[in-house]
Amino acid sequence: MANEESLDAKNAEALLRRFEPVIRFTRGEWFYPMDAEPYVDVCSLWVRRPGENAVCVVPAGDLDLDRLAQQPEDTTGAVHYLKIPPPKEDEKRGLWARLRARRLHKDPDWPRETFRAGRGRLARVGYISRLADALFSLVLLARGRVPGGDVEGARVLYGRLMEKEEHFRYHGRVIRQDGWIVLQYWLFYAFNDWRSNFFGANDHEGDWEKVFVFLSESESGEVQPEWAAYAAHEETGDDLRRRWDDPELEKSGEHPMVYVCAGSHASRYSPGEYLTELAFPLPRAFATARRVARRFWYVTLRQYAGEHSAEMPYERFTIPFVDYGRGDGLSVGPGQDREWDPPRLMIDPLPSWIAGYRGLWGLYTRDPFEGEDAPAGPMYDRDKTISREWYDPVGWAGLDKVSTREEELDVITGRQAEIEERRDRLRSELLEKSSRLKTLGMDAEATRDRSHLSKLHETQTQHIEELSKEVETIRAELSEDEVLNESLRDHAERLRNGERPPARAHLAHPVRPVSEAESQAGRVAQLWASISVAVVLLTLIVIFAYQRQHLLSALVFAIAMFAFIEASFRRRLTRFIVSVNIGLAIVGALVLLQHYFWQIVVFAVLGVGLYILWENLRELGR
Amino acid sequence: MYRQTRLLGVLLILQVVAMVGIGVWLLSSIDWDRVMYLTNEQGQIHVQTNDGPWLKPLVQAILFVIYFLAPVILLLLAGLGFLLLRRRGWMLASVAQAIIMLACLFFYTDPRPWFAYPLIAYSILMILYLNSQGVRAVVHSWRPAGGRSETAHGE
Repeated sequence: MANEESLDAKNAEALLRRFEPVIRFTRGEWFYPMDAEPYVDVCSLWVRRPGENAVCVVPAGDLDLDRLAQQPEDTTGAVHYLKIPPPKEDEKRGLWARLRARRLHKDPDWPRETFRAGRGRLARVGYISRLADALFSLVLLARGRVPGGDVEGARVLYGRLMEKEEHFRYHGRVIRQDGWIVLQYWLFYAFNDWRSNFFGANDHEGDWEKVFVFLSESESGEVQPEWAAYAAHEETGDDLRRRWDDPELEKSGEHPMVYVCAGSHASRYSPGEYLTELAFPLPRAFATARRVARRFWYVTLRQYAGEHSAEMPYERFTIPFVDYGRGDGLSVGPGQDREWDPPRLMIDPLPSWIAGYRGLWGLYTRDPFEGEDAPAGPMYDRDKTISREWYDPVGWAGLDKVSTREEELDVITGRQAEIEERRDRLRSELLEKSSRLKTLGMDAEATRDRSHLSKLHETQTQHIEELSKEVETIRAELSEDEVLNESLRDHAERLRNGERPPARAHLAHPVRPVSEAESQAGRVAQLWASISVAVVLLTLIVIFAYQRQHLLSALVFAIAMFAFIEASFRRRLTRFIVSVNIGLAIVGALVLLQHYFWQIVVFAVLGVGLYILWENLRELGR
Repeated sequence: MYRQTRLLGVLLILQVVAMVGIGVWLLSSIDWDRVMYLTNEQGQIHVQTNDGPWLKPLVQAILFVIYFLAPVILLLLAGLGFLLLRRRGWMLASVAQAIIMLACLFFYTDPRPWFAYPLIAYSILMILYLNSQGVRAVVHSWRPAGGRSETAHGE
């Protein structure tokens, strides 16, 4: 944070309010951005030391933000965490009551919206992912997870807090870094209910999300918004940010529009349903075999190159989940359904709870994948290190290599001067080395064919080769610098004329919502996706139990049928048929080789011989 | 483009002719008198527990018809389609090759008839040709504008 500098509170708040985002939720969302204080006030603080049971440090009702900051130093591996109080007996609802309320569209109590799932996520993936998904759910029972009742507890708690004082608040921070003014909007949610309510990957108590706006400042002090970066899951880098003039970045006046996904609270630029993948590493041998096979097929044989991703990651296996960022629910922001309340500022001097509390903002489940553990606060990661978003927001969004508009021309001028200086140095070096090369060349010419000077000639030749390479390198560098300088001159000219580089040039793999065509699947396809894994497993059991005498045939038939049905539903029939045909052709070729090996060898040799003869005779005839 | 398509059609029709030829040969090698003798007035075939040499061609012919009737029809449709420069022939031909290869491999496990080998060889060549760059380029060029139809072209 060497060049970081906070703005004073008044200016900071004015800037935050000027560019504060408009947040559009998905219908059915239960939790909205809230102030951290009332949440902490009702939570209890716990600590779990390695190998020990969790101990309550501060009971519910005695905790507040100031006390949270007084977290004592603790042993290595100890984890402090907050815990949402369980609902009171009269506030609890049984499973039946919850389901009934949901059916009557009266759930939740606040706000009164109901989520309707779209096309099942399982209809979008294959058998292996479905099987892995089932295993993932089973594993949840074994690994740490947020108890099922917690989401109900959070719902009751949030409803109570909102009934007491309805508010929508973000936590704002403004800093300067590398010439940028970074407006940080930290959004706190009482609960991430993605798994419980939206068929997602995880649940956890407390959820910190963020939206950053990057401004440049002119010499006169005028600020100009240039980029926005929305956080989504663990994504970082160039794909996170959009330029202010990018049509994908919707705006309401000067307020960027954020589509928040239901439950996970991941922030997106466009409304829609997003396929979010949970990645697991594949065993090395399997990954290598997969890479070799795919490269051979797509790259070496150039089969269907470009149609299927030849650059697909081979080392990972993914389970997809759907993030619903439809934007059809409550809208919070200037001129929307609900306005933002004045933000809670996180500027110098930093509130003590920001830097002082390094624990988690909800239940610590000891989940090895950490997906079910609550997050740490804005300043820290779960492992208590300072988070990159906090100390390097510019680098986090991949902007550390981008100049502000104010700086662009100065950067170009500086770079041109640097290149000119370098070229002068290279030119004098080239002159010296060229002259030396010529001298050496003359020496070598003079010592050629003189037996008594053969050793000297050999050394001279070697020196000439080395020097010649150096001269070549210098000439190449000079030439590159010349071209670079010219490009910089052109670029500067374009910038002076008000031209901008393409707004989306920095995006390598931008996340896009699933298209209409992809999300259209019949009920039969969805039903099949839901029951297919069970049907496959049952069929295999039936075959093993009753068809042992025709085991191979029955297995081949069953697998072929399942694969055919799946390919039809997923509109991949062509790809499936090609794969099957290639596989069968390989098996068929092996059968032929086994039976007619020598005949095939003889015919092959004969064929090659005749071809060579034909080519040679044709050459003669010309 | 037309030349490649017509060639594909001719090759597919040739495959049909060869397979029909094998089928006719198999049916003609059956001892029909023996079969008729074993058929009673009600048109039912007596179960014979002792396999005679006459039974093998009958079984082979029946299996051949069962396994290859559908792919022959598909090949015929695909071949005529390509000859008449119609769409959708590629998928029909590919499915037919898959069925033929599967059937030949099933045949190969037990009766292992002589005709399985040439059929496998021809099918391999056809699979390679159907997936060759040239044929795929032709099939792709037929893609209807703005439409995404998996069954109409080679994806």
